[in-house]
Amino acid sequence: MVDAVVVGAGPAGSAAALALARAGRSVILLERGPFPGSKNLYGGVVYARVLDGVIPRWWEEVPVQRWVVRRSTMVLTETQSLSVDMRTSSWGDAPYNGMTVYRADFDQWLAGHAVAAGANLVTSTVATGLIWDGSGRVVGVKTDRPDGNIRAQVVIACDGVNSFLAKEAGLLPQADAAHHTLGVKEVLSLPAETIDERFGLGPDEGLDIEMVGVTRGIPGGGFLYTNRDTVSLGVVVSLKGLADAKVRPEELIADLKAHPTIAPWLRGATLKEYGAHLIPEGGYDTMPPLTADGLMVAGDAAGMTLAAGIWLEGVNFAIGAGLAAGKAATDAIAAGDTTTAGLAGYRRALESNFVLKDHQRLRRAPGLVLSQRMQGPYPKLMCDVAERMFTVTNPEPKPGLVLLLRRAAKEQGVRWRDLVRDGIETIRVFR
Amino acid sequence: MSASAEVVVACLAPADQRPEVDPLSGEVVVNDAMASLSAADAAALEYALRAGEAWGARVMAVAAGGASVVPALREAASLGAEVLRVPLPSAHDSLHGPRRCEGTELAGDPGVVTAVLSSAIRASGTPALVVCGDRSSLSGAGAVPAMLAHHLGAAQALGLVAMEFESGGVVLGQRRLDGGWRERIRLTAPAVCSVEAAGVRLRRASLNAALAAASVQVPIASSSATAAAAAAGAAGAARVHAGAPRFYRPRTKVIPPPAGGTHERILSLTGALVQREPPRVVGPVAPAEAARELLEFLRRAGVEVGQAGDAGG
Repeated sequence: MVDAVVVGAGPAGSAAALALARAGRSVILLERGPFPGSKNLYGGVVYARVLDGVIPRWWEEVPVQRWVVRRSTMVLTETQSLSVDMRTSSWGDAPYNGMTVYRADFDQWLAGHAVAAGANLVTSTVATGLIWDGSGRVVGVKTDRPDGNIRAQVVIACDGVNSFLAKEAGLLPQADAAHHTLGVKEVLSLPAETIDERFGLGPDEGLDIEMVGVTRGIPGGGFLYTNRDTVSLGVVVSLKGLADAKVRPEELIADLKAHPTIAPWLRGATLKEYGAHLIPEGGYDTMPPLTADGLMVAGDAAGMTLAAGIWLEGVNFAIGAGLAAGKAATDAIAAGDTTTAGLAGYRRALESNFVLKDHQRLRRAPGLVLSQRMQGPYPKLMCDVAERMFTVTNPEPKPGLVLLLRRAAKEQGVRWRDLVRDGIETIRVFR
Repeated sequence: MSASAEVVVACLAPADQRPEVDPLSGEVVVNDAMASLSAADAAALEYALRAGEAWGARVMAVAAGGASVVPALREAASLGAEVLRVPLPSAHDSLHGPRRCEGTELAGDPGVVTAVLSSAIRASGTPALVVCGDRSSLSGAGAVPAMLAHHLGAAQALGLVAMEFESGGVVLGQRRLDGGWRERIRLTAPAVCSVEAAGVRLRRASLNAALAAASVQVPIASSSATAAAAAAGAAGAARVHAGAPRFYRPRTKVIPPPAGGTHERILSLTGALVQREPPRVVGPVAPAEAARELLEFLRRAGVEVGQAGDAGG
């Protein structure tokens, strides 16, 4: 019998194991891949401020690709693009705001800290189910190894977006495609110097672009991240929308790569990796209960990806949740009460920090961002207004902004009152 | 012969199994931190363990290299093997991230690898059998097993696809021939065999063994012992008996089909129909109403059907 078993050595699992091990608790960290991060596809952005109090000066050792100093939100139509581009040199100095990483490297690094703190990492091992006692309380996990049952006072399920453990415990529904998106990504090789030149970056500086309007009206968006000598490019789209549109995801990426704004950036690039992954984007309202007797859920398993348009984050929420779960499990074990009531400190901790505060405040954002108008006519409307505003019409006098907006709205079939209503709703959601 | 007091050695070559090739420059990028057993090495270890069981011999897993080979040796330890790491003159002693390599650098010099391995093996006991993977996964030429046989004065059988072990230190091996034929080889210890990754899977350690192996201290072959053994030179060459070749075609192996029908297996794998729309009884209603209900149901299920009015006829 160990104090805790953590299933999944992703950011949430490793953070939970780290917190437990540092508190002197015996903890087994199970990973189904041959090493942590081995099955991840991701070269994306991580905001690691959450690690400040856990791994001092983490930025001196983290396996970073580039430090993000430039962040753009881009609205695209087939022929146009409109960007809000933020660049600040302060993000390029310690303690840094965000970084692009390869998850295979990052997960291994974080799990290494858990192991160094005393956690027992067991790789190539699948948790095949929960062990229950007679009263319906979770008391461990079964694994696919011979004699592989592990009995523990607390099980922390960090087994990803399709968490079989959370499903077995009845915390997650068996299938909820409506609350998941599909992320499809290509990693394209470019020399580091070419990336620096094309994107206006210094040697270690990175760019993060989030896009809307590139998915043929399917609810979702696109992204482009610069790594050291590769570029991650892809789309994240609604599962149902993709099925209804009868479009292959690779067609969407092909559209993106051929776009007049994107194509010049990628000239001469060579495909290095292609892959896809499910993302839980339902937000606060679709999160499952976070605890049951003897069981806690964190990270993607608990739907903790924040997909709120201008904020697209997940790893930081997973780490925050994992740390809170580890701390709450430690307290519950010390108190001798690992029932749902005993583990309630987990949710209280999340509600008092950014994990649930941000999710709760932005709970309506996924619905707004993925709404029909935001995904359909608005990108074209915004680009048209910007294009006409910057088109010199001499000898005609310059038209006013309101007139341009009215004209564009009419052309796109958007009623004025819907436009106003959505504007007010946007302010409310992101207030 | 009795091999009970002997040692069976699995020679492993853990390496990054997914080295990246830069699509722009063609450079190979390996990550020592991700070194693991190749399928051929895993097969070699499994056969070594079987030989050890059959002959009551000690099983030792040996790998040449730096700290990157330790996790694979710990995996071998979790399966009950003794382990030994043999330092290489050129190997890195610490784990680090991706590094770019020249092709010849990847697998190392087979002469150097063989020399240090054979010395370390000799220093640890007399091997009845040495089993290797048929080649290193990093551009290896498969030369090390043959050179090991030479250094150890042992018989050799390379590129086997199956091995069986009989008492008296007898090894029965099979090797592929053209046209689906097989060659059967019988040799006696001491012997060096290399195996392909075919038809065998490395056993799984129990959870307790896997946990215990995580903290196993992997011994490092002392340079003085290996140097002394190297100086002693190879023992007399083993006698290799070659019989008259005969054609042999193995029987077709019948694998039992999975349980249940295809439909049930797909349902089980996908979890489909676990959550389904509960049955609804409509009616009794008029035929037109029943047809409308059916069409509505099909539309909800995503089947393309015409308008309700089109259903007639």
